[in-house]
Amino acid sequence: MFYREAGQYKTTYAADQQIFPIRQDRIGIGVILVLALLLPLVASEFMLSAIAIPFLILALATIGLNILTGYAGQLSLGTGAFMGVGAYSCYKLVTIFPEVNVIVHILLSGVFAAAAGVVFGLPSLRIKGLYLAVTTLAAQFFLEWCFIRISWLYNYNASGAIEVPGREFFGTLVTGPAAGGISRYYVVLAIVVVMTLLIKNLIRGRIGRQWMMIRDMDIAAELMGVRPLVAKLSAFAVSSYVCGVAGAMFVFFYLGAAEPAVFSITLSFQVLFMAIIGGLGSLVGSFFGAAFIWILPILMRVGLPALGVDIAAETVFQVAQMVIGALIIFFLIVEPHGLARLWAIGKEKLRVWPFPYA
Amino acid sequence: MDMLYNILIDPFVQMVDAPDFLIQVVWEGFVAGVLYALIALGFVLIYKASGVFNFAQGIMVVFAGLSLVGLHQKGVPAWLALILAIGIMAILAVCIEKFVMRPLVGQPDIILLMATIGMTYFLIGLGEVIFGGEPKQMITSELGLPTGSTAFEMGERGLVILQHIDIAAAVIALLMVGGLAVFFNRTRIGRALRAVADDHTAALSVGISLNQIWAIVWFAAGIVALATGIMWGARSDVSFALEIVALKALPVLILGGFTSIPGAIIGGLIIGIGEKVGEIYWGGLVGGGIESWLAYVIALVFLLFRPQGLFGEKIIERI
Amino acid sequence: MNVLVKPAGMQPDGETAPGEVLLRIDSVSLSFGGVRAITNISFDIIKGEVRAIIGPNGAGKTSMLNVINGFYHPQEGTITWRGKVRRKMKPYEAASHGIARTFQNVALFKGMTTLDNIMTGRGLKMHSGFLWQCLRVGPALREEIEHRRKVEEIIDFLEIQAIRKTPVGRLPYGLQKRVELARALAMEPELLLLDEPMAGMNLEEKEDMSRFILDVNQQFGTTIALIEHDMGVVMDLSDRVVVLDYGRKIADGPPEEVQANQDVIDAYLGVSH
Repeated sequence: MFYREAGQYKTTYAADQQIFPIRQDRIGIGVILVLALLLPLVASEFMLSAIAIPFLILALATIGLNILTGYAGQLSLGTGAFMGVGAYSCYKLVTIFPEVNVIVHILLSGVFAAAAGVVFGLPSLRIKGLYLAVTTLAAQFFLEWCFIRISWLYNYNASGAIEVPGREFFGTLVTGPAAGGISRYYVVLAIVVVMTLLIKNLIRGRIGRQWMMIRDMDIAAELMGVRPLVAKLSAFAVSSYVCGVAGAMFVFFYLGAAEPAVFSITLSFQVLFMAIIGGLGSLVGSFFGAAFIWILPILMRVGLPALGVDIAAETVFQVAQMVIGALIIFFLIVEPHGLARLWAIGKEKLRVWPFPYA
Repeated sequence: MDMLYNILIDPFVQMVDAPDFLIQVVWEGFVAGVLYALIALGFVLIYKASGVFNFAQGIMVVFAGLSLVGLHQKGVPAWLALILAIGIMAILAVCIEKFVMRPLVGQPDIILLMATIGMTYFLIGLGEVIFGGEPKQMITSELGLPTGSTAFEMGERGLVILQHIDIAAAVIALLMVGGLAVFFNRTRIGRALRAVADDHTAALSVGISLNQIWAIVWFAAGIVALATGIMWGARSDVSFALEIVALKALPVLILGGFTSIPGAIIGGLIIGIGEKVGEIYWGGLVGGGIESWLAYVIALVFLLFRPQGLFGEKIIERI
Repeated sequence: MNVLVKPAGMQPDGETAPGEVLLRIDSVSLSFGGVRAITNISFDIIKGEVRAIIGPNGAGKTSMLNVINGFYHPQEGTITWRGKVRRKMKPYEAASHGIARTFQNVALFKGMTTLDNIMTGRGLKMHSGFLWQCLRVGPALREEIEHRRKVEEIIDFLEIQAIRKTPVGRLPYGLQKRVELARALAMEPELLLLDEPMAGMNLEEKEDMSRFILDVNQQFGTTIALIEHDMGVVMDLSDRVVVLDYGRKIADGPPEEVQANQDVIDAYLGVSH
């Protein structure tokens, strides 16, 4: 009824190829962005710091993984480690060049993660599928080991952890323990929105199509002139870059301090679950998945006591884990393509409403 | 030069100088390898019968071990706890078949893999809710397993100490492999199982019940998991940390091939011995602790030269 | 590596005129382990013709296409492409030489729409850099639109406008085959290899496909080599036919001649020994 594209004629290919060809979608995304901008007016510090900020950062990490697994079809179990590379390089950069703006460091730190990604992506030229999972596991455990053993990475701190110093951006403190939730939120929001847009562009262009060619039918892709080396390694590089930036942001804007255990395989799995539940090969799904996995346990922690269920905090965590595990299986059975596909089906139904088919 | 000496020559000098220590290290690696192999065996069983890469095998090991110890702590006698634990694995197998495998039949491998990752998450949560998160001591002596050790003198050159429980682990692993080989090759169910592994639809069309076969296979994997859990628990504790260790089955399988039972054993031993020897003789050069990733790197290097695994045939790509 | 670098039609000196030999296969043999797939086969493809490769199942037809494609590397023999002997090369290089193909079992990119699938065929002709593509302005945007126009021409030509934005996985088999042809055409190949373009089609779909193949050949001047089992189609479409059996060539010539060849008849109908 209100979601119908009748009458919206496209007269140029440019108009037909825009990200949101349907006017209602453009309005919708505009409303969401405005709401996101206005959120700090109504949200408490807890909502910003414990929900909104990590949600956005993890959504970005999920997008990073989605580039590799969802778009280029290379299964990765090493996301956590690549995020760690970003975080540790950012920490080193910030402490070595304290005068340079922290945002520059955050964006640069992804480059180191990309380099690590390319190195561990090299075997993907010979190895496929599950076998590749071993490569990424090697990356995960090897890099984790580096974070523990190479004390230069954490400036020889006795604690073995990295602690984020306070840094300003346009005169406002955005990192460190004293930074307020609102300023951190806006910086995170800006980075995530801009990077999502750039990646969306990449995916709907030549490079993105190459990734999907490799994913869907690698032999046909090669016979059509795609160099597997270039396509796969570029996917590893871009994916790890995004994950690295997300990792740096995770520490600098959310945690404030981090020890190597943060970037363990648990984080890799968490991000993988976000990608699966959201829908592999979908950017909007990455946001759905991150929201789902991150917010569900928090809702349960807040919600269950409110409902009069009296359980310990750690039990809530365990129950949440069970629920997430069960939901993953449920989703795979009901809709293997995740929330994004449900969303797409919903929109298709709306377009032809009140009829069941077009 | 020093560096090269430390990497290329010194470790071997050490090995020759102290053969008793080397044998001890290799033995430790061997036992660890047996346990990797047992976990890998669980993977292979399920992979053979349903083409599913069962990520949850590790947590099944933990779960089985926890059930056994947990029941005993509640006052159940050891023998009864063992029987009940087997019962729990049977129930688990039936549930997995009914709620996960059956609805997902025919889906791409990657979806099934992810389903087992979901299962892992669920079982970790469930295990912690029921049994609590803290590590537990395995009831080794209550189960009648040997706990002592024997020292072998090597003349002038020192002595090697073998834990009886380790020997028991090796023997049990051997019996299990033998039993599975007989089960696969000599029984009616085994034949049905191989048929299912080859082609689900074809197996169905000749009257084999997929559901029944899968439940049986998952149950068999559960028994293997229980044995692994007991043996592993006896060496360290029963804890959820084991779940990460179980990931090492992946490099083991890559060496040995996903469908080969002897491959799983040999792969397990290579990885187990390789990482122990590597850690002891080379790990010190980079600060130690390389055991956490050496297995994966061994598998990775190996894959680069033989992408099809140790026993696999050369892959000819077709279009 | 002595491979040709420029795509078709870009090099005046490498240009092959109609009627000249475009591709020559000289005593090529291919085996996998101990199994011989192709034994000492020679034939040529002339610019502008429709060349059929036929033979019973397992005769080595698809292997032959894979050799031409650079996907399999023959142990013996040479391949001459536009007058130059081709060395061992990577499969992706064949595409830049101007060789495109369709596959026996449809090999579309299942997760993408028809439009995107055909756009993939333009990949080699797009050159805008990484950063431009991130921003999708300037050359990247221009390129995207310019190639979209080209792709729309092909969509019109093959009459698949209605399924432009449908994910190819949802299309019926006949249409998938057509999209695959569109994707190959988008590469503007000099030599188009079609591996059983009409397998599994009904009569109507076969007629459509035959018409498209002839149109491609006549309107664009594309040289076509095709494998097909339907003899009626082969006889109608092709200028020359090469017949393989058990990896050997048993006949080569115009359709009528091949049809009358005793060896061919024996290969298809069997002989009593």
